[in-house]
Amino acid sequence: MTALLDAPPDPILARRAEIRQIAAASVKRRRVSSAITLGVCQAFLVIALVPLVAVIAYVVAKGLPAWNSAFFTETTATDGVKNAIIGTVVIGAIATVVAIPFGLAAGLFLAESDGRVAGTVRFVADVMTGVPSITIGIFGYIAIVSTTKQYSGFAGAFAIGMIMLPVIMRAGETAFRGVPPTLNEAGLALGARKATIARRVVLPSALPGIITGVLLAVARGLGETAPLLLTILGSDFVHWNPTKPMNALPLVIYNNTNQPDPSVVQIAWGAALLLMAVVLVLNIGSRVTAAVLQKEKR
Amino acid sequence: MHTSPTSPQTTRKRRSGRLLVLSALSAGVLLAACSSSSSSSTTTTSGGSSTTTAADPYLAADLNAPAASLNGAGSTFVQPFFKAAFNAYEAKNQNVQINYQGVGSGAGVTAFQQGTVNFAASDVPMGTADLAKVPAASGPVVQVPDILGGVAVAYNVTGVKTGLKLDAVTLAGIFDGTIKNWNASQIVALNPGVTLPSAAIVPEVRSDGSGTTYIFSDYLTTAAGSSWALGKGKTIAWPPSAEATKGNAGVAQSISTTPDSIGYIELGYAIQNHFTYAAVKNQAGLYVVPTLASVAADAAQKGPVTPTDFSIVYQPGAASYPIAGYSWAILLQKQTNQTAGSATVKVLDWTTHTGGGQDLAASLDYVALPPSVQSYVRTQLLTVTGPNGQALLTKS
Amino acid sequence: MNQELGTTGTGGARRRPLLALPNTGYKVLLAAAAALFAALVLWFLVAMVSKSRPAFSSLGVSFVWGRTWDPNTNQYGLLPFILGTLETTVIAMLLAVPIGLGCALSLGYLVHRRVKTVLSTAVELLAAVPSVVYGLWGLIVIAPYMRTDIEPFLSSVFGWTGLFNGPDGGVGILLAGVILFIMVLPTMVAISRDVLVAVPHDQVEGAMALGATRGQVFRKVVLPGARTGLFGAFSLATGRALGETVAVALVIGNSNYIAHSIKSGGGTLASLIVNNFGEASGTELAVLFAAGLVLLVIVAAVNIIARRLVRRTARSGATSVAVA
Repeated sequence: MTALLDAPPDPILARRAEIRQIAAASVKRRRVSSAITLGVCQAFLVIALVPLVAVIAYVVAKGLPAWNSAFFTETTATDGVKNAIIGTVVIGAIATVVAIPFGLAAGLFLAESDGRVAGTVRFVADVMTGVPSITIGIFGYIAIVSTTKQYSGFAGAFAIGMIMLPVIMRAGETAFRGVPPTLNEAGLALGARKATIARRVVLPSALPGIITGVLLAVARGLGETAPLLLTILGSDFVHWNPTKPMNALPLVIYNNTNQPDPSVVQIAWGAALLLMAVVLVLNIGSRVTAAVLQKEKR
Repeated sequence: MHTSPTSPQTTRKRRSGRLLVLSALSAGVLLAACSSSSSSSTTTTSGGSSTTTAADPYLAADLNAPAASLNGAGSTFVQPFFKAAFNAYEAKNQNVQINYQGVGSGAGVTAFQQGTVNFAASDVPMGTADLAKVPAASGPVVQVPDILGGVAVAYNVTGVKTGLKLDAVTLAGIFDGTIKNWNASQIVALNPGVTLPSAAIVPEVRSDGSGTTYIFSDYLTTAAGSSWALGKGKTIAWPPSAEATKGNAGVAQSISTTPDSIGYIELGYAIQNHFTYAAVKNQAGLYVVPTLASVAADAAQKGPVTPTDFSIVYQPGAASYPIAGYSWAILLQKQTNQTAGSATVKVLDWTTHTGGGQDLAASLDYVALPPSVQSYVRTQLLTVTGPNGQALLTKS
Repeated sequence: MNQELGTTGTGGARRRPLLALPNTGYKVLLAAAAALFAALVLWFLVAMVSKSRPAFSSLGVSFVWGRTWDPNTNQYGLLPFILGTLETTVIAMLLAVPIGLGCALSLGYLVHRRVKTVLSTAVELLAAVPSVVYGLWGLIVIAPYMRTDIEPFLSSVFGWTGLFNGPDGGVGILLAGVILFIMVLPTMVAISRDVLVAVPHDQVEGAMALGATRGQVFRKVVLPGARTGLFGAFSLATGRALGETVAVALVIGNSNYIAHSIKSGGGTLASLIVNNFGEASGTELAVLFAAGLVLLVIVAAVNIIARRLVRRTARSGATSVAVA
């Protein structure tokens, strides 16, 4: 028996003990570092929430008092923004209806191809997102207003569309690329046409990401001022005709915040709050619709 | 006091008397209300202005413009005034629609050169270079003043109320950075009774090109002479200590949130937002606070202006406030479309005359054009012709 | 599944569904969309170049790196604004990338589902706030804090870097960078969140099965796996930061000189354009168009550099699944 006790320690057992020690230390180290990582992530979430809440609270505080019946029923000639609401709806609708299919189709093109051509188009789209909105507005003036000798809602929609387009393209591409390739391959294996796969498989699967991208683009498009400043001229009249000058909520904000009368400035804040409310409704509405559509598909 | 009971006769007399007075008053009120729907009681034009519309034979015809949809663009300074005036016009003549956007004087002039607007508005009239860009085929350009405005020097210094006395040389020193602190000897010398802090002065200026900057720098150039070396223009190369913000509202906000700051803003901002502003020394040597009356006094001293001689800063006269300027409306002399041209010139004529748009000026803290300038505007607008060569402005 | 995938030749009774394009038609349609976009951009570039030509013909090229901006003496140096553009964007992205990613990771993986919906919606709502509102909020609410609390604190802690010289102004490059950070946060968070969540679950679960902690899963699986998508989020966010106009013009102090510290006022190419476009004419107007072109070049350069960095980290070893 003493022979056993005196024998040199079993190398395998020793090694096992060593591994256990290393593993325990590693787990402890990794747990600590993980806790730090998670903590940092959550801290950053809280940090991000601070300006978020501050800005929204400020707009609500300054804008809500402006929301009275006159605000919604009268025109910008007096104390309301009715014509500006109509203008925003018309211009936003035209820009969105054109930019979304256009942008998603181009985004799908980019997602399906890694070639040189696609790379260049992708690069161009990225660069275009950095163009100042005033420059797009100038382009809208040069392209449409100068040539037609007419300020119009169409010119404004063109400029807004140009701002939205690269965002939808790139966000759409990102969403399309997020679809697992296995789904695509399954469709091909079943003999489906590419168009059908795109419509029935890729699009529904990428829908949440697409909606995010489209919502971001639309939110930005609805709130942009400079492209409208040079293209729609503004108007105090209620009409739905995009071939004539129109008014829009961002334009009201821009004009009114530049005036001395505090009651006029307040209307601007009311308009800003209204824009946020519209985007909120669009946001909730589109996500609910998407969820409903996806449930139906199952 | 002992009063005897009134007899039925007395009561009847009193009642009918009161009735008479009441009906006379009502008739008077109705008459006043019907004769012009815009208030005319607060115009501050100096030198006998008439407040009855009957005296001006063109105004009624101005309201009979043919159906048209007009577009104008340019100065942001004049936008609140145009908006109110055009809305008042449209209320009286439902056939005419006028769209105006304050895109900036330069952009408005560009739009005019390209023919995308019926009229433009600019704080500084078009000069030779700009006029050269108007296509020769379009013919000559008519430029007329449309409203008068003043520039207040507002500041935010604890304990210092409105009326701090400043002259051109001191202002030049403040805004070019040579006078650095509020208790500098130059400022103290002008204001013996005022306690000024030792804090550093923060000049607040415009970051965007603007007519307000032009008027202010024009004043400094004219009144401060060699003490002001930065010239005059819509943009100035301000010293690094100056904070520049976009728009009149931006500068106003900057002044109100920055302690020890001083800046130049349109009079309307100073009045409506209760800023404290300076009493500026005029040519007569007196320190005058900017009011609608003092601005009007300064303009009246200059009298008629033309597109080549338009500066009205630092005019003589005890009541004059030295920092003021006109804004200008621009249109083609030879209008190519009879209805649009007729409507354009009639709307502009109505807007620029007492009894028309000018009556709204005071309520918005602008100053109405003096009568001599209104006559000049009328003469100029009478030269505007339609496609058939006939003058578009008509008497009623 | 009730719906069948349309096949290329089924029985005659079924109607042809909408958009049942043959594969070539499909490809052509997509390519046409991309081509149309490219044509629009080309039109845009041609217009910009032709409008900026008078500036180059009368001033040469050197104004692009000139140091002085003074239209009254015909000097149109763009260098102060190029530097301002880069400085504000760097500040904004230095804040937006980590905070945005952290926020996106939290929203994607760490918070309760209900909280996630509410917070995500709130973050996306920020994208709808117009630029001028951000600018005014920054000027009215944040600038005073900057001047009285934040800048003195930062100067005392980081003054040794030499970046914080000069007086505490409130408005300036730092404030502009912070406001830009808030403005691009929604883009960064929303797109990153979707991309991070789209990393295949089997990879995430596989890593966890191997004993990785959540932090390791994030660092080694989720982030690398989402790399190209994150680059997309980054480039959209940076694009917005580089091109933001009115908000910057309200909070940057608009000094036309090269800023000596990040507390001082400055200008960006975009704020230069928006400040001066309304009143500019002649040479100055052409210079503003040229400034727009310079900005495009900067955006392109930033994009190229960022893409190279992304590709390099991809190649240098971090594969999709790697655990301690």
